[in-house]
Amino acid sequence: MCDDQTRIYYQHLKQGELWLQYCLNCQEHTFYPRSHCPGCLDQQLEWRKSQGQGRVYSYSIIHVQSLADDDVPYIYSLVTLDEGVRLATRIVDCSPEAVHVDMGVEMVVRAINGQLMPVFKPVAGLKSQA
Amino acid sequence: MKKKRALITGISELAPHKTAYGQKTLALLAESSRLAIEDAGLQKRDIDGLLVTPPSEDSAFMWPAQVAEYLQIKPVFLNMVELGGASAAGAVARAAMLVEAGICDNCLCLSGGVWDSQVFNTLEGKMSVMSQAEIDFELPYLPMGFNTGYALIARRHMHLYGTTPEQMAKIAVDQRFNALHNPLALFNQAPLTIEEVLQSLLITDPLHLLEIVRPCSGAAAAVVSRASSDMNTHRSVSVLGWGEACTHNSIVYSEEITISPVKESAQRAFAMAECGPADIDLVSLYDCYPITVLITLEDAGFCAKGEGGSFVARHNLTYQGDFPCNTHGGQLSMGQPSFAGGMSHIIEAVRQLRGEAGIRQVPQNRLAFVNGNGGVMSTESSLVLGRTEHV
Ligand SMILES: [Zn+2]
Repeated sequence: MCDDQTRIYYQHLKQGELWLQYCLNCQEHTFYPRSHCPGCLDQQLEWRKSQGQGRVYSYSIIHVQSLADDDVPYIYSLVTLDEGVRLATRIVDCSPEAVHVDMGVEMVVRAINGQLMPVFKPVAGLKSQA
Repeated sequence: MKKKRALITGISELAPHKTAYGQKTLALLAESSRLAIEDAGLQKRDIDGLLVTPPSEDSAFMWPAQVAEYLQIKPVFLNMVELGGASAAGAVARAAMLVEAGICDNCLCLSGGVWDSQVFNTLEGKMSVMSQAEIDFELPYLPMGFNTGYALIARRHMHLYGTTPEQMAKIAVDQRFNALHNPLALFNQAPLTIEEVLQSLLITDPLHLLEIVRPCSGAAAAVVSRASSDMNTHRSVSVLGWGEACTHNSIVYSEEITISPVKESAQRAFAMAECGPADIDLVSLYDCYPITVLITLEDAGFCAKGEGGSFVARHNLTYQGDFPCNTHGGQLSMGQPSFAGGMSHIIEAVRQLRGEAGIRQVPQNRLAFVNGNGGVMSTESSLVLGRTEHV
């Protein structure tokens, strides 16, 4: 974690917030943090706070981990945020049997192996059906 | 079909081993070079081009020169081809370009090396095959390497199209049947059933242990030569078409993870070869996992998107079947040498097109489609190969 953008991203996480870069030219969010907008290669990216709402795009329940320092099983997932970007994450507070593609989820910050990371938990009821 | 001037004139493949068995990568490459040059009926001094896939243990710095020095050859064009599992097909495509352009007469395409089975079981090992973005934004969640990337594709394909675990397992089962008749294959002792695959350890759901490729040591080589009038071409195979495409590095940033760049690479290969999926007699498709084969079949146009599951269930994929696929057993039964160059798929296609596949020989062997796949369906290199007498 060396570049400035990555540092800013993780500083926001320490406050419990997920911030994304937004390109004023393309009018689109982008992820992962970077120096240049991947749409137009302009450097005019501004930081905006994410609402932290999204949907499970796909997932895999990991039963075996070669780095023995983690508790299996856990739900590794790709989540598409309402802002339009996709990120790798985990689904928490959810049983492996309950997770499904398109499930509505919301962001919480949790420590994984001592590092604060954005993870997602199921939203209650039909809140995220929009 | 237009006459093509790039011919695969020589091939070799060393038996894969589960460990490094006291060998060094350069030694394996030298041995496979010797055999391929001999198979082509050439002398070492005839080799004027060198395309080599990356080393897994040695320093990659000046790797083509390291290899050229070890082999004592003096290429006028040399390059390392780093496209992950698409590297071997990419090397053959580049060699075809070089000989068609008149730059080289005989290009040696080399792939393989030794494998230390612990390579991916350490944090450093995992990081050595990751981009900085993957290290910063994926590794903290502890995916199980490439396995999890393909598991995500399989899961979404199941969700969108109703693809079943049984359908995916059948690919491994049919390929195992092929491997039983391949003395080189790592896993050629016992047949496999769909039940056995699905009862094997669930690693990264929905992928089971018996659906995951086994890294190993090994090497293979192909010589690509410029056709000349005084050449005896009865054993040579023409590179009729090739195509390459890349849409992402990490699967996280693929627009739709169930659609791969094979769509583009295969279309380009078929267009160059002036033929289509219906003309193909056998396929050799990169198979790090069954889902890779399934997605490749769809995106190359052998069946419609979403129908890969029913396609593989409906067809017999063995060398005795109506749709011969990975007749050597595929990497799933053959083993995946070194950094997964995918050369074994090319070698088997050449054997079949030459009519030298022995007990595994398919009756129709005019045209083969070969696909190399790098990363998590990131970079694809497709080839259409044909018997030279046919063109
Ligand atoms: Zn932009």
